[in-house]
Amino acid sequence: MAVTQDVPPQLDDLVATAHRIREAIESVIEGKSDVVRLTLTVLLAEGHLLIEDVPGVGKTMLAKALARSIDCPVRRVQFTPDLLPSDITGVSAYNQQTREFEFKPGPVFANIVVGDEINRASPKTQSALLECMEEHQVTVDGTTYRLDAPFMVIATQNPIEMEGTYPLPEAQRDRFTARIAMGYPEPAAELEMLDVHGATSPIDKLEPVATTAEVRALIEAVRAVYVSQAIKKYAIDLVTATRHSPELRLGASPRSTLQLVRAARAHAALSGRDYVIPDDLQALCVPVLAHRLLPSVEAQGQRRLPEQVIADLVRRVPVPEAQAR
Amino acid sequence: MRLPVAAGAATGAVALALYPLFQTGTWFWTSLGAILVVTAVGVLASRYTLPVWPAPVAQLAAFSVYLTAVFTGDAAWGRVVPTKESVVELAKLTAAGFADIQRFAVPVPERPGIVLLTCSGVGLIAILVDFFASRLRRSALAGLPLLSLFVVPASFISDPLSWPTVVVAALGFLGLLAADGRERIAHWGRAVLVRRTPSFVAPRPAAETGTLRLSGKRVGFAAIVLAVLLPSMLPTLEPSPLFGFGVGNGTGRGGNSIGIPNPMVNLRGALSLPANSTILAYTSSDSGSRYLRLYSLDVFDGDQWTMSPPKGRPEDRTSEGPLPPAPGQGASVPAAPVTTKVAVSEEVRKMSFLPLPYPAAQVRIEGDWRADADTLMVFSTTDTAEGSSYEVLSNEPRPTAAVLTTAGPASQAIADRYLRLPDDLPPEIITLASQVTEPDATDYEQAIQLQEFFTSKGGFSYSLATQGHGGPALTDFLIRSRAGYCEQFAASMAVLARILGIPARVSVGYTGGTNIAGRWTVRTHDLHAWPELYFEGTGWLRFEPTPSGATGQGTATVPIYTQPAVDTGGSDEPTTRPSSGPTGGDLPSGSANSPRNPMLERDFGGVPIAVEEGTPLAVKIGLGVAAALLVALVPAMLRWGVRLSRRRVYSRRPAQSETAAVEERGREAARGSTRVTAVRSNRGQATVAAAWAELDDALCDYGMTRQPSESPRALARRLSEQYEFDADATASMTRIAEAVERMLFARTLGETGSLREDVRRVRRALAGAVSRGRRIRAALLPPSTLLRIRTMGTRLLDGFDRLENIRFGRPARRNA
Repeated sequence: MAVTQDVPPQLDDLVATAHRIREAIESVIEGKSDVVRLTLTVLLAEGHLLIEDVPGVGKTMLAKALARSIDCPVRRVQFTPDLLPSDITGVSAYNQQTREFEFKPGPVFANIVVGDEINRASPKTQSALLECMEEHQVTVDGTTYRLDAPFMVIATQNPIEMEGTYPLPEAQRDRFTARIAMGYPEPAAELEMLDVHGATSPIDKLEPVATTAEVRALIEAVRAVYVSQAIKKYAIDLVTATRHSPELRLGASPRSTLQLVRAARAHAALSGRDYVIPDDLQALCVPVLAHRLLPSVEAQGQRRLPEQVIADLVRRVPVPEAQAR
Repeated sequence: MRLPVAAGAATGAVALALYPLFQTGTWFWTSLGAILVVTAVGVLASRYTLPVWPAPVAQLAAFSVYLTAVFTGDAAWGRVVPTKESVVELAKLTAAGFADIQRFAVPVPERPGIVLLTCSGVGLIAILVDFFASRLRRSALAGLPLLSLFVVPASFISDPLSWPTVVVAALGFLGLLAADGRERIAHWGRAVLVRRTPSFVAPRPAAETGTLRLSGKRVGFAAIVLAVLLPSMLPTLEPSPLFGFGVGNGTGRGGNSIGIPNPMVNLRGALSLPANSTILAYTSSDSGSRYLRLYSLDVFDGDQWTMSPPKGRPEDRTSEGPLPPAPGQGASVPAAPVTTKVAVSEEVRKMSFLPLPYPAAQVRIEGDWRADADTLMVFSTTDTAEGSSYEVLSNEPRPTAAVLTTAGPASQAIADRYLRLPDDLPPEIITLASQVTEPDATDYEQAIQLQEFFTSKGGFSYSLATQGHGGPALTDFLIRSRAGYCEQFAASMAVLARILGIPARVSVGYTGGTNIAGRWTVRTHDLHAWPELYFEGTGWLRFEPTPSGATGQGTATVPIYTQPAVDTGGSDEPTTRPSSGPTGGDLPSGSANSPRNPMLERDFGGVPIAVEEGTPLAVKIGLGVAAALLVALVPAMLRWGVRLSRRRVYSRRPAQSETAAVEERGREAARGSTRVTAVRSNRGQATVAAAWAELDDALCDYGMTRQPSESPRALARRLSEQYEFDADATASMTRIAEAVERMLFARTLGETGSLREDVRRVRRALAGAVSRGRRIRAALLPPSTLLRIRTMGTRLLDGFDRLENIRFGRPARRNA
């Protein structure tokens, strides 16, 4: 990834800013640079992120660290079984002085919304997030309120086998650009964590390293990243392969193609490239596609995870123009 | 159902090969009818699943009804049902057919008898083929009757079978095999349940026979192409005994071997032809007539005289100068040089042996004509003589009776070859030989006595009606009938001479012909056979046992040295002996190897022409190996050429600047096109593409696999790690990969310098990672080129498949 000599100027800024944010986050979350990078990729791709893992591995910490490193309104919602949709979107309350209904914005009215343990809320509440995530707007009592850009939902969830969880419906899963698993830290990283976190929480010392305007500029720069026809075709090939795979009951949606290419743009930009290459797509296939797919009964019987199926497909779909013969 | 039809089609295809045997085509339609009848019965038998044995019986019955209806309908009951009369009639026709076959040479006129025989043969073959293929389900065995039908024309006609005939016949047989294969696979491959419940179950595709069929077709196709092409590619410059250069051997067009007709069969045919067309005309330097010999038959097998395969060595080409010396002709016997100018008629059918006076010393003719050193026959495997003119210098021996009388014993080689007789020779013939000659006489005197026996004392008469020429026919001619034509006379005299210990052979050619306005004209009726007897020192001399004149072979002449008044000047063969000094028995026995007559060389310009030594076997093998190596090196050379041209491309610096490329892209965007490939014209792109293609081929050559899903970057990373590239090679590899990425996926290519050094470095690093054997193989037999050649072949075959699909395309599944 050393191609920096002929990068357009805005990409230079992007790479520098992204680097600052990464460093900030990694000062809190040790040894998870892949996860951090993916988080940034999703942010720049104007997507939403679903972090799934067992409790206590730093899901919330990651979300909070990202939120803190950017100088922007951040709201955090702890999802519980009794949470109501209006607790998220906001309510219209009657103001006795003005004798009018006034809209009290809910926690979604922020640039970054951290939804903690999203799968512990009832489906009704979960679906309240749908409109905001896809259309960046909230409709309450017939009035539509626009959300500020950038708008990113970082949701964490426990694995669905755990107690007291409602699985996210496919439709809502499809709205998350990517899903990542934190994974346990390496022993060395865990040791360092003990040293650093022992006394104080480093997140308290975290200062914002980027402004909302900067992030907006970064997103603009990402939109300008060039996607060649061959790459688009390759993305479609990959997605189509999931639809035809006998191991999958439900393939990836056209929305996922869109998000895959968008994420690939951000991935390329983070690498300092103003064009997308197949490697960007290959790196993002598993996080972007896996959570949308349903394995077939046979695959389940063989304990094949969608991640494995996708990795196999990526190995099989030919890269554009790779076959000179 | 499919099999009987395929069997009929195969028989029909093979029967087409009989075409050249006949003058017209009515036989074919009659035979086709027979095939149709047999096939129709076969189809019915399959439809009603008759047991194995009744089917051919039914076919035979139907076939006999067909024959009756076609040939003896008048005598049959209701024109169809055979009656006693019709059967008798058929038998008569059959007998007449056999007689006709004996009488006529190919191409035969269409006499009812011959057509009946042909039709019966084809019909019986059709029944056999159907029996093997459809009843016994042994389609491969059905090839045997087909083959026996196929060799009939090959053994009767002189021309090689044309390659379309071979292809059509092979296709017919392949079609039969294919039908059998399909039937078999379809039987075990069909899902029976699906057929019965078409409306409930979505029809599963039937057994996947497509690929099997495809590969079968490809194998068959390749076999036919090889069979037709390979013989013409093999460097067989000489007709080699390996390829069966015997009677009636025929290969595809363009081959280097020729078919030798059965001269005897042709002889009778030509003599009895009603039309007496001109074969050739010639003049000779002494205005005398000459017997012109075509073939020399040296093998007597008890039935007939045949020719052992002539050897046309490259150094015996007529264009190489004088022919080999005439066997046995010594310098002590006076000889007269005669120049004969021959013009062969345009109307002669393929004449691959030249009619020449014996012994020819030099032949001047266009084309690749070669002489057989032992017999001085001149022939060609590539050219034919019709319409050509040539000049022959012959060196005719003029022996005196004294020389011939005192001739010594023949050399061992001559005696071995020309005295051989079958063991089962009838004893009465051996007795006859001693009866008609004096036991004490010399060879020469005995030869004269033999000739006299045939021409006057024996009471022989000339008749073309004689049938056959086999062993019984020989006895019949010599002992009983004593009536025949030149063939019997020549063959009998040669046999008797061999019995008496005189080396003898039978020559076939033309008599001297008739003199018309100073030119000797030779016609079809002048075709002739005569014996040649060997006398040491003089060589081969012709004798003439056949009666001449109006009641015999019209233009036959008796040579002067066999006439009683030997030493007086002959009538039509002037004697110009400078000296007839008897040289007696002190002739060198190995005179066949005597140096060439110096006079010969003077006549041809006075320059001694060096006789090329035959190429030694080792050199021949070496040449063959070299040629094979050259062919084997073709892929390597192709690869080398491709590599050089690519290197030219990726070595240059791109002339077009990036801004120009950007402008170009801008223009394209304005046109609404964003295709990257459209900018390929850019020189920089060509540079990168060439480097990448070269790298790709290098990987293939070194046997390094490349996953289709591997991006350039991933490939670069993997190679660097897997083969432990050094820093330079890694950097080069990365540079190439990035350039390729930019070419394929970026807006602009950016600045790309010459990639020559990078490609070279990566190639070297790759080569260092593989074994030496791999490297040698990559240089000599580059897999990338082989792969490309194979891909081309596959495309070609795909093309053929597509053609076929267009022709026979029809809805595959009815239930779908």
